Amino acid sequence: MRNRKRTGWHRIINGVNISAFFVVVFVGAPLYWLIASSFKAPNNLGDSPPQYFPHPITTANYRDAFGPEDFGIYFRNSLIITLVATALVLIVGTMAGYALGRMPMRGKFTLMVTLLVISVFPAIAVVAPLYLLLRDLGWLNSYQGLILVYTAFNLPFAIWILRNYMLGIPKEMEETGRIDGAGPIRTLWTIILPMALPGIFTAGIFCFTACWTEFLFALTFNSANNYRTIPVGIAEFGTVYTVPYGTIFAASVVAVVPIGILVFIFRKFVISGLTSGAVKG
Amino acid sequence: MTTISSAAEQAPASAPLVGRPDVNRKRMARLGWTFTSPALIIIGLVTIFPIVYSVVISFSNAAVSGNGVSLNGFTTSNYSLVFKNSTWHYALGFTIIYTAITVIVELVIGTMIALVLQRLTAGRGFMMALLLIPWSMITVINAELWGYIYQGTYGVADAILTAVGLGSPDILGTPTPAIIGLMIADIWKTTPFVAIIVLAGLVMLPGDVYEAAEVDGSSGWSTFWRITVPLLRPTLALALIFRVLQAFGLFDLPYVLTNGGPGTSTTSLAILGYDAIFKNLSYGPGAAVATTTAALVLLGCLLSLRAFRVQVGKEN
Amino acid sequence: MATVDMDKVNKVYENGFHAVKDLSLDVREGEFMVLVGPSGCGKTTALRMVAGLEDITSGELRIGGKVVNDETPKERDIAMVFQNYALYPHMTVAENIGFALKLRKMPKADIAAKVKETGEILGLTEWLDRKPGQLSGGQRQRVAMGRAIVRSPSVFLMDEPLSNLDAKLRVQMRAEVQRIQRRINVATLYVTHDQIEAMTMGDRVAVLRSGVLQQVDHPQTLYDHPNNVFVAAFIGSPAMNLYEATMSDDAHKVKVGSQTLPLPDDLFAARPGLLRYGDKKVVLGVRPEHLPAAHDGVPGPTLVGNVDLVEALGSELVVHFTIDAPRVQPEGAGTDDEDATAKAGEGVARVAPDTKVKVGERMTFAVNTEGMQFFDMETDQAIWD
Repeated sequence: MRNRKRTGWHRIINGVNISAFFVVVFVGAPLYWLIASSFKAPNNLGDSPPQYFPHPITTANYRDAFGPEDFGIYFRNSLIITLVATALVLIVGTMAGYALGRMPMRGKFTLMVTLLVISVFPAIAVVAPLYLLLRDLGWLNSYQGLILVYTAFNLPFAIWILRNYMLGIPKEMEETGRIDGAGPIRTLWTIILPMALPGIFTAGIFCFTACWTEFLFALTFNSANNYRTIPVGIAEFGTVYTVPYGTIFAASVVAVVPIGILVFIFRKFVISGLTSGAVKG
Repeated sequence: MTTISSAAEQAPASAPLVGRPDVNRKRMARLGWTFTSPALIIIGLVTIFPIVYSVVISFSNAAVSGNGVSLNGFTTSNYSLVFKNSTWHYALGFTIIYTAITVIVELVIGTMIALVLQRLTAGRGFMMALLLIPWSMITVINAELWGYIYQGTYGVADAILTAVGLGSPDILGTPTPAIIGLMIADIWKTTPFVAIIVLAGLVMLPGDVYEAAEVDGSSGWSTFWRITVPLLRPTLALALIFRVLQAFGLFDLPYVLTNGGPGTSTTSLAILGYDAIFKNLSYGPGAAVATTTAALVLLGCLLSLRAFRVQVGKEN
Repeated sequence: MATVDMDKVNKVYENGFHAVKDLSLDVREGEFMVLVGPSGCGKTTALRMVAGLEDITSGELRIGGKVVNDETPKERDIAMVFQNYALYPHMTVAENIGFALKLRKMPKADIAAKVKETGEILGLTEWLDRKPGQLSGGQRQRVAMGRAIVRSPSVFLMDEPLSNLDAKLRVQMRAEVQRIQRRINVATLYVTHDQIEAMTMGDRVAVLRSGVLQQVDHPQTLYDHPNNVFVAAFIGSPAMNLYEATMSDDAHKVKVGSQTLPLPDDLFAARPGLLRYGDKKVVLGVRPEHLPAAHDGVPGPTLVGNVDLVEALGSELVVHFTIDAPRVQPEGAGTDDEDATAKAGEGVARVAPDTKVKVGERMTFAVNTEGMQFFDMETDQAIWD
């Protein structure tokens, strides 16, 4: 791209920077609204016209969320389910991704396309039979039920990402390993895995985000209070008559912050996963 | 001087040699299937099997009791019920139009944002990180947030509209504003994501193509349309397909923000299916809705795969 | 210490492609054997069969006298250097070199000692704790070699290890590789497509074409006595000039285009078979270095050509000329460009730097008859006895 040299005040005030400013406002305004509102006193939340800046600033909503509203429980549930499902996806998915990326198997391509098709399936198509299935197993309102479902549904996309990463590793790596005397498992563990780490991070972040934010299955399968995940918990805050926005936002901030940080730290992986996965197909 | 009998005389005359697959290759292939099987088993059990089951239910007079499901015979009545149902017609149209509008808007705004970011000299990393936050947000939270913004009495949207002189509409209580409100919430959350994909694609474009274009006399708009867009097409295409197909499952946002209302004005296909199955306990028709939605997604997927065969990576 | 013996080795792929045809080749103890040929000639396939990375369809492969057709690479005790080195990027240089030893469960102290020793041989001592990503191309290549020699293998295999280096570095590394090979004195099979590498590095050179071995000899022999037209055209840079020609009735003169060259009697002492080719068509080959500028008074046959282009190299002039005889260019012997643009009658001569040459004018070259090559027009075989 042509690099126009900007001088003087043009360095700060120019078309690009002004547009960028608007983008920040576009993205940041609702976020600000979320965070600010979480610190409003409960009786200020319904002010009309609304308080653009909380006055007084209070953490009452946060106390409410973790106290009577059981957000602590929901957070714990989400954490356990998300982490376990992600771990499973990464372990099983890396093996499959490795095989589909580097082993001479027939029908590989058909399999990949099938996985692709499965990954876009709308959850509504399977929620009913899965509900019945889990009910029969006694796995409704449990950890293992959702973990199993999340693992299965995140595997296809994870396998796509991992396989693409595996493809990028030079073919000679296994051969060198063979000549040096490493068996296939050892080759995977000592040679290939460390080289595929970026891909694993990428798949991990995507899986984590997907599990953390999933709603339909969590709503259907884990409706009991003890096993609710964050999305369901927040949706069910309050009663038919009142929507306790303060508590909702406080919980939301707590829910958004960790994943926001994770995504920020691993943003390189997210971006590469979105693009290399898309382009390579 | 050692000479080996020359090429021309060496044509192998004995039994023709047959190429066999390498022993090692076969071993590797078997190992590959072993490595893949756990994933295949899990996916098969939890996705393929239920999909089939769903189709089966949709074709039977299903009755669900505390002890299980009884499929009382084959019937297409569920489908005829669904296809005649006006709410389903509405949901189908709504979902399609909703998808079309949101995706187009996201694409346009997202590309604009990406173009701006591309020219940004400082703080691009920060911008990209900022853009990722709406994507990583839980949709439910997004819905609650916009619910608060659109709230009829004390929502900030209300305050802004009044200040601008547009009165104080009950956004979530009136069909069209509710739909628009829903779209805005969706667009806000997803546009940054589109922007990042486009930006990443732009960044990967080879610089020398642009220099050649400049030398040839192209500039600005013309460069954009003739060079950038065609080069970006593969990246955009696949992302677009995923986005569209995923949009058919629209559920979280309308469920929390409007609960499908007011009335049924924001009832998407997924909401309809969910209500049918879990609120009305009509498993048969509900499964029919679910299956038709899935079929639509599948159709869309196959069509676009055919159209973009070139972009879908094949190894050999 | 071991030798490598390939006995009528064949490789046929699943799709029917016959990559290596009845290859019989031996590598002696400590010998540096180069496998050279154009792309797709099967040299890499042959190397990989010796390594155990490809199955052998038929024929016997013996390492150190033992038949190893069915043995895994590890069992064969071979070491291999790949074209792009295949270094483990997440391990340090020391770990890379020591990896194979670690797999063989050698005690840590021994591994450290061997790695140190290898590092010294290759001049890598100060880089042992770095990762490959921090090294230059030449250093990475040396690490790849280090990884191979640390195991004191029976056979050393190299697949175009210098192809990824820039020209200058390549020349430097050629000497390095040879030095190291002489030091470890292990039978080495080296694959390259670059005939200059082959000629400068090999104790013996094996020329392959389309899976068939053309000739295996000492480099000088390949140069002086190529067995067929392909080898003649492939070896030597700039390539040998090859033309269609006709022998006179008594075979004592050869007609090239419109020019007739008398042939001295001593030519037939080495090539008695040529006498049978009276009145027959042959392929005549003359190397550019055997076409100095003709000086008045110096006897011997001469060739006159139209000068098209002169390249001044400082040490000599490379003169591109044309004569009116059809040129013979075997497929694959030159670069793809050369094959495509080989026009009728083109030739190259290398003359003294002070020669007066003018583009567009006719120039006379003295023909060094000792270096002349004759080939049967039908069989492509060299004509000697």
